[in-house]
Amino acid sequence: MPDSSRRNFLVAGLAVPAAASAARSSADDPKHDAAPRPPLAPPQLRYRMLGDTGLKVTSVGFGCMVTSDASVIERAADIGITYFDTARVYQSGNNERMVGAALKGKRQKIALSSKSGAQTKAAALADLDTSLRELGTDHLDIWYLHAKTKPADVTDELIDAQQTAKKAGKIRFAGVSTHSGQTDLIPVLAANPHIDVILTAYNFSMGQTLDPVIAAAHAAGKGIVAMKVMAGGFRNTKPGDKLYNTFKKDGALLSALRWALKSADIDTTIPSMTDMDQLDENLKAMTGGFTKSDEVLLARQLERIAPLYCRMCGQCDGSCAKGLPVADLLRYLTYADGYGQFSLGRERFLELPAEVARVRCDACSTCTVNCPHGVRVSERLRRAQELFA
Amino acid sequence: MIGRIVARALLAAALALLPAQAGPVPRCDLAPGWTQQGAARAYEASNLFEYMDGNAEGYLLYGFVAMHGVTCVHGGDSILIDVSEFGDGDSAYGMFSANRDPRLPAETLGAGGQVTPRRVIFTKDRFYVELAANPDKDHTPALRAISAAVEKLLPGSTAVPAALAWFPADGQKSVRLIPESVLGLRLLRRGYVAEYEFGKAFVVEEPSPESAAAVMDKLRARFEVGQASLPVPALQLTDRYLDRLCFILKGPYIVGYANVAEGNDPAALAHALAARLP
Repeated sequence: MPDSSRRNFLVAGLAVPAAASAARSSADDPKHDAAPRPPLAPPQLRYRMLGDTGLKVTSVGFGCMVTSDASVIERAADIGITYFDTARVYQSGNNERMVGAALKGKRQKIALSSKSGAQTKAAALADLDTSLRELGTDHLDIWYLHAKTKPADVTDELIDAQQTAKKAGKIRFAGVSTHSGQTDLIPVLAANPHIDVILTAYNFSMGQTLDPVIAAAHAAGKGIVAMKVMAGGFRNTKPGDKLYNTFKKDGALLSALRWALKSADIDTTIPSMTDMDQLDENLKAMTGGFTKSDEVLLARQLERIAPLYCRMCGQCDGSCAKGLPVADLLRYLTYADGYGQFSLGRERFLELPAEVARVRCDACSTCTVNCPHGVRVSERLRRAQELFA
Repeated sequence: MIGRIVARALLAAALALLPAQAGPVPRCDLAPGWTQQGAARAYEASNLFEYMDGNAEGYLLYGFVAMHGVTCVHGGDSILIDVSEFGDGDSAYGMFSANRDPRLPAETLGAGGQVTPRRVIFTKDRFYVELAANPDKDHTPALRAISAAVEKLLPGSTAVPAALAWFPADGQKSVRLIPESVLGLRLLRRGYVAEYEFGKAFVVEEPSPESAAAVMDKLRARFEVGQASLPVPALQLTDRYLDRLCFILKGPYIVGYANVAEGNDPAALAHALAARLP
């Protein structure tokens, strides 16, 4: 049966739009607005080896997904950023074309990666040929299988596609990108001799949960690229949200980038950048290490959101003795509390089976749900029941 | 029992047409022979990531409100239909403009569409619609039929954003709504950019003439340039990345051209563009 997931959607070549970056800094920050453009002084760049690939990359790379103007990418390359990442599906291919134009004449100085979400060898190789054409290059330095969440997603057929491309000289290294399910997936990738690079969501809101598997993969020689290093950890936030506005203040985004870079197992990062100010800001992460003030800043942010913010990690699945779908209920509460969409939250709540909607947390003397991220689950569930029931 | 069935049918019909924040729900019976596979999809800003990982961020940037989708099957073919609702028509058109292939012809579908053998995108009012077909073959007839039916289901206007008319059509390669940082400048928060062989035209609208003037002052400080001798407040300069460019202030708008090729006058182009604005 066909899979109705978005991943299959991608195989069909349908648009997956331009992305925004919740990671970008304030658009109305006066200290950035008023600042004259500084001369292009040579910044202090830091380099790391990308696993066993032999590629030497700046510790801050460039995630091009949300970039809408080629000038930002062009300037980043001139400054000395050496790693640029895009994907076949970003802006339905428009992003690859823009990246290719921006990096024209600079290709030999930089490492370039793209991705395919195809599910068959033929479709993946067709994607690769399109990527090469749109990017105006004869090879990719890294070609990722896009957005895999479990070991079964990384099929022998797709690995074979990467090997075929490698033999044809169309790619130098094979990679896999993953946004979730990393604790199961990364160890499998680490053990696969055909995988050279792992691109994973990694940020401070995850705490140390991914560190062991990332360290093991790195020790196995895999290059580790971190994405969603900043507000990726707050993927539900967007400009205008209270949380977004809180998070972007006081250099928290730079602190978050530094948090990712303090891990010796992270070879490079690919923060999204939409403008010159964001680029200048992110460059600072290479020169300044993670400081006590960064730690305090992030801790403050985490403290503020940790009791409320569900990471949707799924670890609470099935843990409620009364059978409550905990993550779902927390999400419904987010609609009301986080987005001011009470009616939507209530609508979802009322769609629950009657026996679930009838459950009241007040009736339990103890709660069997323990959130590994510190969300005060029973308190939040009680609020959901009070609001919606 | 019959009453309950009728009530459910009425409720379903009402939901399908309800222009609520979740938007109209696409159906598979919009085209003969197609049936729904699996449950309908419904996503909001808070969980869109679960459907499309990091790409969800692009929807959020354009003011995504909700998405409803279904997967339809017919024989061995499947078509996914996703209808996304945005805050307003400009934003929905912005999503469309970011994802259309400017090299392919536009289609008369809603306020604008594009049809390829396995894919359709179009926009109407505050809705952005995507259809994708499997397996790999020409699905154009089915895609056209279902797209037309979905388009009828959507309420609202098929008018394109008024801003599109501001840009000269002659030689225009593309026009897009940039949701933030126009020209890669954070100062220029949101605006339209049209690409031409000889450069990029842009229009950024500020909430008021005063705030637009303040942005111009900041631009002047940023680029460290003086005021050009033009009949309206303007600045003209050459930038390493934006090349030859000119900004002109007109009411709440900042308009201009960037990356202007030799042989063309950025100030004259910008002035002509400003004259087209209300």
